[in-house]
Amino acid sequence: MTKGVFLIAKNNGFIDYVKQAVFLARRIKNHLGMPVTIATDSVDYLTDTFGTKDFDKIIPLEYSKGTNTRYFFDGSLSKKTANFKNSNRASVYDLSPYDETLLMDTDYIISNDLLKSCFESKSNLMLYRQSDDIAKVREEDEFEFISNTSVEFYWATVVYFRKTQTNKVFFDLIKHIEDEWNHYRRVYQITSSLFRNDFAFSIAIHIMNGFQNGNFVQDLPGSMMYTIDKDVLWQLNGDDMMFLVEKKDYLGEYTALKTSGQSIHVMNKISLNRIIDKEFADD
Amino acid sequence: MDERLEKALDFSNYMLTLNTQKRLLAEKYQESLIYFYSGSQFTITRELITFVSVMVSADQDEVVLVDDNNIPCLVHDLDNFYGEILNQYASASNTYHTAYVNLKKNRSIEKLVDYD
Repeated sequence: MTKGVFLIAKNNGFIDYVKQAVFLARRIKNHLGMPVTIATDSVDYLTDTFGTKDFDKIIPLEYSKGTNTRYFFDGSLSKKTANFKNSNRASVYDLSPYDETLLMDTDYIISNDLLKSCFESKSNLMLYRQSDDIAKVREEDEFEFISNTSVEFYWATVVYFRKTQTNKVFFDLIKHIEDEWNHYRRVYQITSSLFRNDFAFSIAIHIMNGFQNGNFVQDLPGSMMYTIDKDVLWQLNGDDMMFLVEKKDYLGEYTALKTSGQSIHVMNKISLNRIIDKEFADD
Repeated sequence: MDERLEKALDFSNYMLTLNTQKRLLAEKYQESLIYFYSGSQFTITRELITFVSVMVSADQDEVVLVDDNNIPCLVHDLDNFYGEILNQYASASNTYHTAYVNLKKNRSIEKLVDYD
């Protein structure tokens, strides 16, 4: 059985996801000791700038401009609108060269080996259901259910799957939901028209469970810790990270906090890229 | 600003950071209590330890335990399982205690977050 980690990086002219993928691939090798495959629409940029040594395989994706736009915050007082290309995530089932795959967002900063245990698990499909905002000063309801009147929220940030017939049906269903997004978002009472992979995965899980809550997927070990893009990643030193997290009710003011040996989903991609630049410059 | 208020706000900021760091330590502790056995995931609790201990005392060689994902798991080598969860629990708790004591010694926000 072949095992590995799969990353998708599609640059949008504002955020360098390829750079994030290179940075993450190095951390994955350190902490999980697994081969890493990247699927990207910027193969030439990747090979010319960073080389190929960090990846087991490089899979080219067709370039697309992307139609989704959103704000990218860098702390609570700075933001910019840009494209983000989050389509075709479900194609990872067909693209992955591994029998067992750990799919990861490039802004998930691995700092321990907890996810290694997935590959020994009895479960064929695992995602994070539980999550923790490290700041704990904001409402976390939006990560409990996909809308106030809808189904349970699952994170598509980290997904472990084995290639099984059932999982093939699951990923094909996600592709279908993406193709018919406007229909499904209305059925599942999502007010925003913006396509989100978390929502598509959550809806597919609900359908695969027989349109109810169930155990079609199991939880990944631990809970997914995250900071939103209103927080700032300030310092990284090995597995220690220091964040400035938004202070409740005080716009533009922050509280410092430090994590040690904890993997974190860092949604402020701008501050993450600043830190990666510093790390690469130090190497 | 009134000096009394300024001092109170400084202390308030310090307490905010201290409490956040305590919470993060507690979450890390919970992660370090996760034990994997034969494809199943168990969070080590005092209840699990006590139950397994009772089974070992009753000379049981194997037992079915329900893991964190509600999947039943047949534990064959119960003695070994007991030893491992006990060791991991003790090690995680000691690490947590040491980190907690060190954290409480820090009297400034800079020291709490170890900022140069």
